[in-house]
Amino acid sequence: MSSELRTIIKDSLFTGLISLALFGPIVGLKTSSKGAGLFVTPSWTPVIFLVSACIIGRFLIGLNSIRKKEIGFISKITSRVSNYMDNKGKHFAITGVLFAVVFPFLPFTDRYIMDVSIMILTYIMLGWGLNIVVGLAGLLDLGYVAFYAVGAYSYALIATTFGWSFWVCLPLAGLFAAFFGILLGFPVLRLRGDYLAIVTLGFGEIIRIILINWYEVTNGPDGITGIPRPTFFGLPFKKIVEDGENSFHTFFNLEYSTMHRIIFLYYLILFLALITNYFTLKIRKLPVGRAWEALREDEIACKSLGVNPTNTKLTAFAIGATFGGFAGAFFATRQAFVSPESFTFIESAIIVAIVVLGGMGSQTGVVLATIFLIGITEMFRDLEQYRMIAFGGAMVLIMVFKPKGILANRKPTITLREHNSK
Amino acid sequence: MEYFIQQLINGITLGSIYGLIAIGYTMVYGIIGMINFAHGDIFMIGAFIALIAFILFGLTGVALPIILFLVLLIAMLFTACYGWTVEKLAYKPLRGSFRLAPLISALGMSIVLQNYVQVAQGARVKPLQPLISGGIEFFQNSEFVVTLSYLQIFIVILTIVLMTMFTFLITKTDLGRAQRACEQDRTMTALLGINVDRTISITFILGSSLASVAGMMFVLYYGVIDFYIGFLAGVKAFTAAVLGGIGSLPGAMLGGLLIGLIETMWSGYVSIEYKDVAAFSVLIITLIFFPTGFLGKPDIEKV
Amino acid sequence: MSKTLLKVENLTMKFGGLTAIDDLSFSANNNEITSIIGPNGAGKTTVFNCLTGFYKPTDGQMFLNREDKTVNLNKFSDYKIAHKAKVARTFQNIRLFPVMSVLENLLVAQHNELMVASGYSVFGILNLKRYKDKEKEAVEKAKYWLDIIGLTNRADDNAGDLPYGDQRKLEIVRAMCIKPKLLCLDEPAAGLNPKESSELNKLLKFIKNDKKTGILLIEHDMSVVMGISDHVVVLNYGKKIFQGNPTETRNSKEVIEAYLGVDE
Repeated sequence: MSSELRTIIKDSLFTGLISLALFGPIVGLKTSSKGAGLFVTPSWTPVIFLVSACIIGRFLIGLNSIRKKEIGFISKITSRVSNYMDNKGKHFAITGVLFAVVFPFLPFTDRYIMDVSIMILTYIMLGWGLNIVVGLAGLLDLGYVAFYAVGAYSYALIATTFGWSFWVCLPLAGLFAAFFGILLGFPVLRLRGDYLAIVTLGFGEIIRIILINWYEVTNGPDGITGIPRPTFFGLPFKKIVEDGENSFHTFFNLEYSTMHRIIFLYYLILFLALITNYFTLKIRKLPVGRAWEALREDEIACKSLGVNPTNTKLTAFAIGATFGGFAGAFFATRQAFVSPESFTFIESAIIVAIVVLGGMGSQTGVVLATIFLIGITEMFRDLEQYRMIAFGGAMVLIMVFKPKGILANRKPTITLREHNSK
Repeated sequence: MEYFIQQLINGITLGSIYGLIAIGYTMVYGIIGMINFAHGDIFMIGAFIALIAFILFGLTGVALPIILFLVLLIAMLFTACYGWTVEKLAYKPLRGSFRLAPLISALGMSIVLQNYVQVAQGARVKPLQPLISGGIEFFQNSEFVVTLSYLQIFIVILTIVLMTMFTFLITKTDLGRAQRACEQDRTMTALLGINVDRTISITFILGSSLASVAGMMFVLYYGVIDFYIGFLAGVKAFTAAVLGGIGSLPGAMLGGLLIGLIETMWSGYVSIEYKDVAAFSVLIITLIFFPTGFLGKPDIEKV
Repeated sequence: MSKTLLKVENLTMKFGGLTAIDDLSFSANNNEITSIIGPNGAGKTTVFNCLTGFYKPTDGQMFLNREDKTVNLNKFSDYKIAHKAKVARTFQNIRLFPVMSVLENLLVAQHNELMVASGYSVFGILNLKRYKDKEKEAVEKAKYWLDIIGLTNRADDNAGDLPYGDQRKLEIVRAMCIKPKLLCLDEPAAGLNPKESSELNKLLKFIKNDKKTGILLIEHDMSVVMGISDHVVVLNYGKKIFQGNPTETRNSKEVIEAYLGVDE
């Protein structure tokens, strides 16, 4: 037996030992309730499975490196996807949008699928919004859910108090969120990356705790109910219509169906998301967008060129917050009720995972990452916690193998070639 | 006055727990310059392992002091494995990567650990019957009787013992010297023949062991744990580490005591619902206005 | 217009117990290249960091003379030095934006003018002609500089992909895009081969003569220092030990004693 093989076997056994220590107590000795106390049930099957998987996995990785073949097939796949995107990016995007537009009318699209799609689009919009802050400006914001919450709650409060229409409340919600973005951004923007991350996390949690405890305004854990349902430019989606009034289905002479409202919501979020995307694409080419990316690359160099780092970062924060607020307003009107439970730190982490996985700064990447993460795990609804383990694991794996994310080939915002041809 | 003394006692006890966790943050930050986001969850795992060990030993007839000692060792041993593994899988490959990469990886690891425990052990809270009860009472004649429980004495004394051993380890042994060298200049340390990887691994192992002791104390003190305690305790302990001066070990303990006292005093005198808001606010204020903390060294970036 | 561009008086910089610069006074003239030389650790980069707002001096004043007025550099901090006082710099370890293209790097340098022209982005979003014209102008200016350093055909490549010598040149012309009155270059010749060094000399002379920009230069490469400097300031242990023209400097006893210059 060659010495290399011996080393690999030794490593694998060592891995097995460690994994036994890891999985033995926590997985193998399950605690469960009995009356007032706990008792421990041994549960060795999963442990054996996990430990064996680790040993075999380690062995295979070891073998792979003897043969000097890299575990490159993942890299190969992602490079192929990246290259394809570079060449066909625009076509892919346009096809994608067209597909999204006709999606509700496809034969297999039922209520459940529409709900999932609306959820996916909401996360895509949040991902695009956070992409401005994290992807373009490079500011790791772990409290993005706070702006989502501010948008949702301000929409809820304004709509239930004043009864204004969605299109009036939406910009107000965005404004509130932007205001919070500036409020949060101002003191924290000169902090370094990791400290900034923790502080934003802290802010996110503070907002959530206040929402839970400030009963007078936010109704505490019960949340705010009775948020007006969306209307089709004034036409409600009601089933029962009074005399003289019109409802969506009576106006268009259709048979009443709950799908009408759902489809309308779908197009609403699609529209909002596309606006976010358009805005991002446009602003990347403007000086402020370039300044964001330059700041992300090297703040000191930026300062030496006269770029005001604080204002530039604050702008990113505020704009990102605004889109988060819009998404929150949509969320409020869609659910007709908001509560602090929807705005936990995990949501922030999920949105960060989407941006990171997709390739910081890549719009298409965000779409793919969202569809992958949310869509696939929706299919395995019951395995809620496994989904989270997969999330976390994906974040670690992406950072280790491809820190730039799946699709992170950056295209310049302006080329001399283009300029010369004009 | 008596009420204040009680809060003081409680605060110091809580502070000891936070301090032990904070040491892990500060050591890792000192040696590889990253915030180990998953460290709070290592503490949580330590608590779970201690809980399981307590239950198992409870079935035997072994005497309490021996149980405490054995559980301490077991928790330290197994939790150290977690700390070691996390470093090898999620941080080591990212040394030299861009600044946010280890942070995101740590975030991912934290999510993995929390949900892994949730899946493996269930989402319900886990109670433990009190093992150490009773205490010394003071001011028995006044309105408010101050109790110094034996458990609190145990926690504080254990903390002091561990801190002493630890300080000795860092200042007097080769390992400690290697660690301090790595903090200053990793490349040079490697060139001098010191195994930097091993030193870093050992740092993680030590930090995780201390966090597991904190976990054991938490289980004994609060009597109930769940998979989420790591998040809150982690944030607070991190605040403690920064407040005391990130990179400084006595600073971590000092910060821990301060945070413990602040939290207890706030709960006792102002409002208990918003005590976590107080903790997060201290975090934000410290990071913004006081990032070097009390005993830390200022961080000058070379231009 | 006075001849003196930059006047540094009694500059002192202390870091805790360490005195990096000790009561330093010197001046640099308009349309001249002034080199600051000295052994490693003499405090040269520290002087730059004080001049360009990255450090706040413990003591002393720095004055910049512009056509219209004299500006006290102490009053400006980091980005304002470039924006308002018009002092540009390059760095010892090149600080380009590596994943952005060469052209984009030069456009970032023109950020402030473009921001105003874009109406703080509002006109830009609305695609107004006013902004598009200004952007065209900015690209033309970038093209101008790229032609001078011969990198026009690499304008759309990532700055990080350029060879080392080209990166150095790019960093210098990027600094020129902010239309500085004073250009501070920190070891621009480091790592350049003799051919590249002489190209650098040509570029710097061009900047001095054509652009009427004063240049302050930290260098170790004596072929560059002797070849193009009008004036040399020698530092050692944070203090000025000599100043004069290149020939005087080369023959000065103090300088020779302080360090054996590296003759290329």
